[in-house]
Amino acid sequence: MSAAFILWGKHMSKLKVHSEEMFGMLIQPVLWVILFGLGMKGLVGMGAPGGDEYYIDFILPGIVALTALGGAIGGGVIWLNERTSGVVKEYLIAPIPRLSILMGNAMSIVTKSTIQAILIFIVGILLGVQIELNPLGWLGGLVLVTGFGIGFAGIALAVASKVDDPGGYHMLIFMLNLPLLFMSNALYPLESLPRWMEIGAQINPTSYAVDGIRAMVLEDGATLAGGETLSLWLCFVVVAVFAILGMGLAYSVFRRVTK
Amino acid sequence: MNKANNSELAIETRGLVKRFAEDIVAVDRVDLSVPTNTVYALLGPNGAGKTTTISILTTLIKSTNGSAKTAGFDVVTQADEVRRRIGVTFQEMVLDEELTGRQVLDYHGRLYGQSKVQRKAKIAELLALVELEEAADRRCSTYSGGMKRRLELARGLMTNPEVLFLDEPTLGLDPQNRASIWAYIRDLKEKQGLTLLLTTHYMEEAEEMADTVGIIDHGKIVAEGTPRDLIDQMGADTIRVTGSDGETSFTEKLRSLEFVQTVHTGDGVIQIGVDSGNHRLAEVVTLANENSYTISDISVTKPSLGDVFLKYTGRELRDK
Ligand SMILES: Nc1ncnc2c1ncn2[C@@H]1O[C@H](COP(=O)(O)OP(=O)(O)OP(=O)(O)O)[C@@H](O)[C@H]1O
Ligand SMILES: [Mg+2]
Repeated sequence: MSAAFILWGKHMSKLKVHSEEMFGMLIQPVLWVILFGLGMKGLVGMGAPGGDEYYIDFILPGIVALTALGGAIGGGVIWLNERTSGVVKEYLIAPIPRLSILMGNAMSIVTKSTIQAILIFIVGILLGVQIELNPLGWLGGLVLVTGFGIGFAGIALAVASKVDDPGGYHMLIFMLNLPLLFMSNALYPLESLPRWMEIGAQINPTSYAVDGIRAMVLEDGATLAGGETLSLWLCFVVVAVFAILGMGLAYSVFRRVTK
Repeated sequence: MNKANNSELAIETRGLVKRFAEDIVAVDRVDLSVPTNTVYALLGPNGAGKTTTISILTTLIKSTNGSAKTAGFDVVTQADEVRRRIGVTFQEMVLDEELTGRQVLDYHGRLYGQSKVQRKAKIAELLALVELEEAADRRCSTYSGGMKRRLELARGLMTNPEVLFLDEPTLGLDPQNRASIWAYIRDLKEKQGLTLLLTTHYMEEAEEMADTVGIIDHGKIVAEGTPRDLIDQMGADTIRVTGSDGETSFTEKLRSLEFVQTVHTGDGVIQIGVDSGNHRLAEVVTLANENSYTISDISVTKPSLGDVFLKYTGRELRDK
C-alpha cells in the first residue's frame, strides 16, 4: 500500500502548485454554508425541527456530504485525465498493486474532503452553531466523512475508468449524484419528504453518514434530526459497507478495462 | 531446449497472438527469442503490431494466446517480477506535465521502492545524460517535444532495468541527442548486461545498434536476422529504378537476365539485385527503353536495411 501513499503525495503536491484549486477548495464550502445555510433558512427552515434558528445546525453535516460528493467528482476527473493522457500506463507497468493506484487517488480525494469538512464546521461555529465538545465524537465524524468519501470516490473512479470523455463522465455522475444528495436527510429532514423519497433516503448511504455526523458532532443532534435518529452503529456499518462496495466497484471496472 | 538455455533469453515468446476484435489480429503467432545482453530492433510499417507486442511484453495488456517471458518471468503469472526488471518508453508521450522533470523521475523511482539516496544519485546522472539539468526544476508543460522525449528516456532508465523497451525512442530528437543517448545505452549494454528491444523508423539506427532485426508485418515476423545477413540476402548491389509504363514486361525481362539476382517492386520502385551495379546500369537502361518503360530516376546502391524492409513489406521505411 505504500504506493498508494506515494501517489497520494503526488496528488497533494500538485495542489500546492495550483493555488486556484487550493483557493477554490477552501472557499467553496464556506460559500455553501453561508449562501445555502442562510439563504434556505427561511424557506426550508420552517419545517426544521427546533425551528429555522437551527437550520444551519441541521444542514452543516449535509454540506459536508455535498462537498465530499463534489470532491469525489473532481477526483474522478483527475483520474479520467490520467487515463486519457496515458499517465496511468506508467503506474500499470510499475511493480505496484492495481488497487493501490486507485487507493492513492481515493485518498487524495478524501483528504481534501476532510479538510473541507473541518472548515465547514469552523465556519458553522462562527455562525453560532453549537457543537458537542467531545473529541471522540469529532473523530467519529471524520471517520464517517472519510468512509463516505471513499465510497463515492469509488463510484466516481469506476465511472471515470469506464468512460473515455469528460462529457459522458459528467453526465453519468450527475445522474448518480443527484439522488444521492437530494434523496437523503442531508438538506431537509426525513419527514418533510414524500413517502417514496423517504424510502429512498433510508437506503441511501448519504443519510447514514449525515445522520451519524449530526448525532456525534452537533449538540442536540437527535432533536435536529427530528427525534428519531438512525442508530450510530448502523451508520458506521452502512458507511463502511458503502466504502468497500464503492472501491470494489472501481477496482472491478478498472481491472476489466486494463485486461 | 533445456532450462539453462532458456534462462539466457531476456525475451521469449511462443505463438503469441493478440486479437482486438474478431477481425483485428494485431499480433499473429509471433515467436521471439532475444538473448540477454543483445539489442533487438523490431521494424515494421504502421499498424504492424510493434506496439502491441511491446505492450504484452511489458505486462500492459494480456495476449489472447501463446506465452511470453520477459527477463525470465512469465508476463501474466509473474507480472510483478517482470515489472521490477523492465524500463519502458511508450510510443506516445506519457508525462505528468504538471510535475517538474525532477519530480517525474523522483516519483517514478519511489514507485519502484528506490531510496532517497539512490534516487538523488540516479536523477543527477540521468539529467546530465539527457542534458536537462537546467530545465529540471521547471514544469514539463514548458518543455519542447524533444525535451519531453529525453525526460521519458531518463525515466525508463531510472530503475536500472535489465530489459529496456523503447517504442520509437528517438522520434523528434536531434542527431546530437540521438547519438549521446545511443552511446549511453551501448555503455549500459556493455557494463550492465542490458537487453534492449526497440522499434524505430531510422534504419541506420537499427543497422548500427541492433544485433538482431525482426521485420514484422500484419502481426507476423516476416524476416529475422542480423542486419548483415539480411542485407547480404539482397544480392551484391541494388539498382533502384523509378518510372512509369511497361513495368510488367520490363520486370519480366529483367528476371530472365543471368546477372539479375532479385527483382522486387513496391511503392512504384523497382529494386534489381545485380552482381555489380556500375557495370550493369547501361544494360538495364537499354532494356527499359526496349520495353518502353520510362525511367524517371535511377540509382545504384549497396543494399541497406531499408531495401530489406521494402522487400518484405512492400513499403518504404518511413525515413528522415
Ligand atoms: N486498443 C486497440 N483496439 C483495437 N485495435 C487496436 C488496438 N491497439 C492496436 N490496435 C490495432 O492493432 C494493429 C497493430 O497496432 P500497433 O499499435 O501494434 O501497430 P504498430 O506496429 O505499433 O504501428 P505504428 O508504427 O503506427 O506505431 C493495428 O491494426 C491497430 O489498429
Ligand atoms: Mg506503434
